[in-house]
Amino acid sequence: MDFLQFSVSSNWFKLSMPVEDISTNGHLIDGLWNYTTLLGIFYFILVCIGLFGFSYLYSHKRSKTPYYTYGNKKKHLFITAFIGAAVFLSVDLNITRLSNNDMLAVFWKWPDPKTEKVIRVEVMAQQWMWSFRYAGADDLFGTADDIVTNNDLRVPMNTKILFHLTSKDVIHSFFVPSVRLKVDTIPGRITRVWWDANKAGQYDIACAEMCGTHHYLMKASLTVYTEEDFNKWLNASQTIAMTTNNPEDKNLAWGWKWEY
Amino acid sequence: MSGGYNEIHPEPTTFWSKYIISFDHKVIAKQFMWYGIFFLGLGGMMALLIRWTLTYPGQPFPIIGNLLFPHSAGVVPPDSYAMLFTMHGTIMIFYAITPLLIGAFGNYCIPLMIGARDMAFPMLNMLSFWFAFLSGIVLVASLLLPLGAAAGGWTSYPTLSTMIGSPGAGQTLWCVAIFLFGVSSTMGAVNYVTTVITLRAPGMGYFDMPLTIWGLWLTAILNAIFVPVLGAGVILLTMDRVMGTTFFLAGASATSGSGDPVLFQHVFWIFGHPEVYILILPAWGIVSDLLSFFSRKPAFGAKSTALAMTAVTILSTLVYGHHMFTTQMSPLLTQSFMTLTMTISIPSAIFFANWLGTIWKGSIRFDSPMLFSLGVVFVFGLGGLTGLHLGTVSTDIYLHDTYFVVGHFHYTMAASVLLGGYAGLYFWFPKMFGRMMNETLAKIHFWGTMIPLNGIFFGMLMIGYGGMHRRIYNPFVYESLQRLIPINTLVTQSAILMGAFQIVFVINLIWSLYKGKKAPNNPWNVGTLEWTIPSPPVHHNYDVIPVVKCGPHELGNPNLKNGRDFQYQTEELVQGPA
Repeated sequence: MDFLQFSVSSNWFKLSMPVEDISTNGHLIDGLWNYTTLLGIFYFILVCIGLFGFSYLYSHKRSKTPYYTYGNKKKHLFITAFIGAAVFLSVDLNITRLSNNDMLAVFWKWPDPKTEKVIRVEVMAQQWMWSFRYAGADDLFGTADDIVTNNDLRVPMNTKILFHLTSKDVIHSFFVPSVRLKVDTIPGRITRVWWDANKAGQYDIACAEMCGTHHYLMKASLTVYTEEDFNKWLNASQTIAMTTNNPEDKNLAWGWKWEY
Repeated sequence: MSGGYNEIHPEPTTFWSKYIISFDHKVIAKQFMWYGIFFLGLGGMMALLIRWTLTYPGQPFPIIGNLLFPHSAGVVPPDSYAMLFTMHGTIMIFYAITPLLIGAFGNYCIPLMIGARDMAFPMLNMLSFWFAFLSGIVLVASLLLPLGAAAGGWTSYPTLSTMIGSPGAGQTLWCVAIFLFGVSSTMGAVNYVTTVITLRAPGMGYFDMPLTIWGLWLTAILNAIFVPVLGAGVILLTMDRVMGTTFFLAGASATSGSGDPVLFQHVFWIFGHPEVYILILPAWGIVSDLLSFFSRKPAFGAKSTALAMTAVTILSTLVYGHHMFTTQMSPLLTQSFMTLTMTISIPSAIFFANWLGTIWKGSIRFDSPMLFSLGVVFVFGLGGLTGLHLGTVSTDIYLHDTYFVVGHFHYTMAASVLLGGYAGLYFWFPKMFGRMMNETLAKIHFWGTMIPLNGIFFGMLMIGYGGMHRRIYNPFVYESLQRLIPINTLVTQSAILMGAFQIVFVINLIWSLYKGKKAPNNPWNVGTLEWTIPSPPVHHNYDVIPVVKCGPHELGNPNLKNGRDFQYQTEELVQGPA
């Protein structure tokens, strides 16, 4: 019976693992999560040893005479200060440093379309859908040959994808669990995110910020193609865009000039 | 230190002046207590509706479902769902925890524990309750509007909370209610700060105050500074809604000029992060005292606990940006807020060490207030440590707006504060009402709360890490989230169980009020000032203002020879043969 329960609970821990990481850099976030969790478990075990151990050892039954101390002897103050410093140095400074390094070296290191191969995508969120815009043949955004899709993002693998995002109405949040990234889309602002996926397949894009009644339905699909498949799709879409994009269509006119 | 205004007020004679428009801090405390318990029940019911919807989407809520949602055959519809989680958050934070921990304990404990006859400003105190009452009416009334109450989350981020996302008067009334509540809280806070500074009994230095008073006092300071900021924020939001201004509007809808929705987030969180500590500081104080009282030994490092709480209070004003990492502030701001957030663990670790030091080598009595206090140490440990993942920028990017956040802040703000509140209630009930609560029922209530509570909130941490985001009506429209159904079910069943065990508490409360054993003056054998006077105290508390001669935690002194193991604060500290 005990064994059965154990298998149920370990299965649950497996269930609560995030979806598979398909990006080159998502492991940084997973790694830091694991590291923080291990340290947290370590300190929580210490707290529990104190809490349950002392409750057992020093219950009224076992310990008749309490130790009369204010805990302000030099020794006591030293131990308290040591615990405070140990937690700060071993946990906080460490994870702050690691996170800061990751942010500077990767997540805030924006790929530069001028010097490397980058697929650029403009994203516009609105209640309750995601629209994606590719520059098209002329490599300029906001022109008649742009490829625009709704709730359907397709990207190649092993290529950096750089997104510029905004929102038309309320704040949304562009959440792609498979690459561990999330960024708010804010009316009047442009936010950025980039990733590099390395596994073809179909994944979820969700809105993570409460955006109204149908917030829960604001989902899009992410398709990661091999480079070859992506080019095939892109060319086909380009042809469709050229023939069907209507310059008078106001719903298509949301693109903006790509800056910085 | 009694420099203030501390004379005996005449006792009220009519029902009206005694129980309704009362200036007596003890009556106001009870008013806040009933008010808080009422809203705790209402907010709790909303939580059950939310949990039911998340686990059994499309199934009618049992028993009262048909009554509440007749048009959808008892199923919670998506718009009502948004309204429910908005109101659940608002009610629990402002209308349940604040009145219980700050309104009830603040009012009851501060004058009694510092040896004063009433608050410094009794009339302001009365107004504080009635403003809260008015605010509660506005909020509950907004539930009855044709388009429903506010539904943009308790954070009410624009532009969703402006006319673009929330037509109808619900959101406007929410702003009005929060503003009125802010007025009430500010009046209370000014009163508490002044009372603690001016009305301490002669001989009582700041470090002779019980740590409960430290917690309440620091809370009041934060309240007085930061609640007005929220007041300003909701006024600006109201102006955007009704007067056509555009402080927080931008994008396609800002046709008459552009503001910035992120500005509201700054205003909100510069209040909102201190608010977290506003809620938890009284519970920390209560726990610090009770651990010492029921271990029968002085609080370990009481002075450093008080100073650590002060440090947290100061730091809490400097870290609010960690709520906004995903808005992509400048990297410099992001780095600064991350680093400052991390420094909070130094004082937190210090008072954790002190709590454990207090029960170390004690002689622990496991009465119900003690059980709840030990429970706080456990759940706040979990809550605090999961905060590390969220204060770190890169992990927060994944975890932000998932159930991990929900689990984390429920551990810190809901679980810890609720358990701390129950600890205080079981502890001071004899003083408040002159009767003891039933200990067996209290222990059943403790275990019936503690175990499901961890099922709920640990389950939330797990589904959050699994990637389920917040505030979604039906998580299972995402195929990848369907694997979390078993854990979600566990959370909901735990919530129902925990809700059911709260009935034990209500029964115990009502029964003890009328039929409980008569309480002696000092049922717990502790030495703080409120236990030197009868239970319940007379109208003016102290016939003679006490003179304080020792600290609040004088327990277990081996030199005591009078058959007691504790000393009252009014007694000269017994010294050993040197």
